[in-house]
Amino acid sequence: MADMTLTPKQQELEQLAREFTEKHIIPVASEWDEKGEFHQFILEEVKKVGLNCMAVPQEYGGPGFDSLSQSVVMEQFGYGCCGFATTLGGNGLSSYPLAIAGTDEQKKLYYGRLVAGGSGGFALTEPGAGSDAGSCATVAKLDGDEWILNGTKCFATTCGVATIMIIFASTDPSKGVKGLSAFIVEKERAGLTVGATEHKMGIRSSNTVELLLKNVRIPKDHLLGKEGEGMKIAMKTLDMARPIVASMAVGVAQRALDATIKFAKEYLDVNGKPIGMNQAIGFKISDMAIQVEAARQLVRNALRLKDAGVPYTKEAAMAKTFATDAAMSVSADAVGLMGHYGYSKDSFVEKLMRDAKVTQIYEGTNQVQRIVISGILLR
Amino acid sequence: MSYALTEEQELIQQSAREFTQEYIEPIATEIDNTSAYPRAVIRQMAEHDFLGLYLPEVFGGTEAGYLSYVLMIEEISKVSGAVASILINHASLAAYSINCFGTAEQKQAYLPDLCSGEKLGAFALTEPGAAPGAGTHKVVATKVGDNYILTGHKCYIANGGVADVYVVFALTNPEAGAKGMSAFIVDASTAGLTVSRTIGKMGLRGCPSAELVFENVIVPEANLLGAEGAGMKMAQVAQLVASVAEGAQVVGIAQAAMDDAVKYGKQRIQFGRPIATFPAIQTMLAEMATNIYMARLAVYDVASLIEKGEPFAKEAAMVKLFTGRIGQSALIDVIQIEGGYGYSQEMVASRYYRDIKGAVISSSSAEFPEKVIASDLLA
Repeated sequence: MADMTLTPKQQELEQLAREFTEKHIIPVASEWDEKGEFHQFILEEVKKVGLNCMAVPQEYGGPGFDSLSQSVVMEQFGYGCCGFATTLGGNGLSSYPLAIAGTDEQKKLYYGRLVAGGSGGFALTEPGAGSDAGSCATVAKLDGDEWILNGTKCFATTCGVATIMIIFASTDPSKGVKGLSAFIVEKERAGLTVGATEHKMGIRSSNTVELLLKNVRIPKDHLLGKEGEGMKIAMKTLDMARPIVASMAVGVAQRALDATIKFAKEYLDVNGKPIGMNQAIGFKISDMAIQVEAARQLVRNALRLKDAGVPYTKEAAMAKTFATDAAMSVSADAVGLMGHYGYSKDSFVEKLMRDAKVTQIYEGTNQVQRIVISGILLR
Repeated sequence: MSYALTEEQELIQQSAREFTQEYIEPIATEIDNTSAYPRAVIRQMAEHDFLGLYLPEVFGGTEAGYLSYVLMIEEISKVSGAVASILINHASLAAYSINCFGTAEQKQAYLPDLCSGEKLGAFALTEPGAAPGAGTHKVVATKVGDNYILTGHKCYIANGGVADVYVVFALTNPEAGAKGMSAFIVDASTAGLTVSRTIGKMGLRGCPSAELVFENVIVPEANLLGAEGAGMKMAQVAQLVASVAEGAQVVGIAQAAMDDAVKYGKQRIQFGRPIATFPAIQTMLAEMATNIYMARLAVYDVASLIEKGEPFAKEAAMVKLFTGRIGQSALIDVIQIEGGYGYSQEMVASRYYRDIKGAVISSSSAEFPEKVIASDLLA
């Protein structure tokens, strides 16, 4: 049932995304999972329906959706394939730094690539800088009118196929977190190469790579904001992105719930009754549904705060934690309830359980979310 | 742990540990990657007398007791959940059923080969469209003269396709539902018994899962196991016995995964110190260590009950219920601690994550243990 608190426009978008997902994603998601990649044509298809770069404002050729609209679409994409949603989410994730700190010229450059159908990447993590993003060892040095970037990024989402990306580097390593800066880097820049591809347990259609920067020269005006503002930009970006990741997780959880309900209605117990008639199973399914709905509403609450322009950092972190935990537990319950079938490749839920795990890890582990939440509560 | 293991039990534990390190550990990842049945390892295990470890000496077993057997399963599981599953299906389900419910002739005919490893056993209960443990999608056994003729499908049969002997559950009286189910010993080579497909699964790869087709399979009356109509009861007993071994499997996998997380947590530096020094990580480790300790004690205790011939149904179901919960949560936390690295397919933690779910769901439907426990309490 539609969420009646969504505007008619948001409900329309949800329907559009649902239909797109049913037509283009669900039929091929298992194949993407097996091969560890998705067909590039899907990006053309998603561009055709105008959902490829939802965070790009109208004046730059995008649809300029509000956050809640982006969320309802991403939930549907997550329902279809969390790996695909992660890739599309990368367009949003890497767009946010522009909204936060980009100049008009920078926005034209970055958004232009996305509107044209390209993918955006966001490279913050390094081998020695995960939750501790301030320990960034990639450095940027000014040389006349150019920045020269050197270093290695890892677990860089979509960066193997992205046409443009936001890369974080330290402009002053002596300052630690305060020396971090954000840069726009086009994929064709000399010295930028894609290293090893991560073979992941889940979200396998999403491209995750090592990014090697060796004397990568970019124009001076590719610095986002000011030198040393990188951490601030990264944190604000993640604030914006967390409810979106949470939306994808809600989609994963909803898919697991729907599959379980179908199974419980169709599978017969030893007496020939559908197993859903068993109270223990019915209660379990109720618990799963409660988690899914609570997660969805927590996400939408955080985004309504954001769209209203009031502080929402804590609520975004809460939504991310709760929704991704829900995806984990609901998908694991789905496999459990569906037994051998659920554990096999005959069903889709084993993929959901592999995919769900990463949502608790990326865009700030759920431990980092608790640092954020407790930091606000206890200050 | 001060649980009073005998000298013999400690010796078996030690020899299983040495065996797994020498023969299984070097190829455990490859078994998972290729999903190939590790025939050579099973043969080596047979040579070490592991295949009939708790079975009677008179039929070629070692008669070392069920506790020794679960100690071995625990050790194997630390390295390969898949190999442990092959063994559990062989020894705790197939051989157990024949030993417990078979006639002297049946035991003499089958157990020596199962103990020596000349033959591998499998337990064919699950049917397509039926929840594990339920008899809906019907393999039917029709009595014709001195034979039964079996027709129907079995699904998700572990060791299917590589086993030489199947304990097959079929309906001799379809109208009676569960009470019309009987068990048969069926040689894999019997005409009309074919493997229609092997089924991919999330984990425990290498322990094949297959769909079996019975097309007018003629089984002599002498191969009826137990009484006609007693099939479901026997299946439940065997599954409970197996669930104790699966409890050991969960404990082994969880222990190995936790050890891996501890190692990672000590090495991984974030915010200038090993992440294992953070209370958030320590809380997770403490929780899983406590759970593993409790689970192990319970597994050993119920194995002792089985060994002594005392009632064990309720306690075995408790082991199933408890190990299921704690195994699942331990692996969710282990990957959380190891973050993006743990999520990588190349890391052992992600294999443990996939395998433990299989160990948890193995031989019962989701509500099965609760039902057994409650039935016992209310009897």
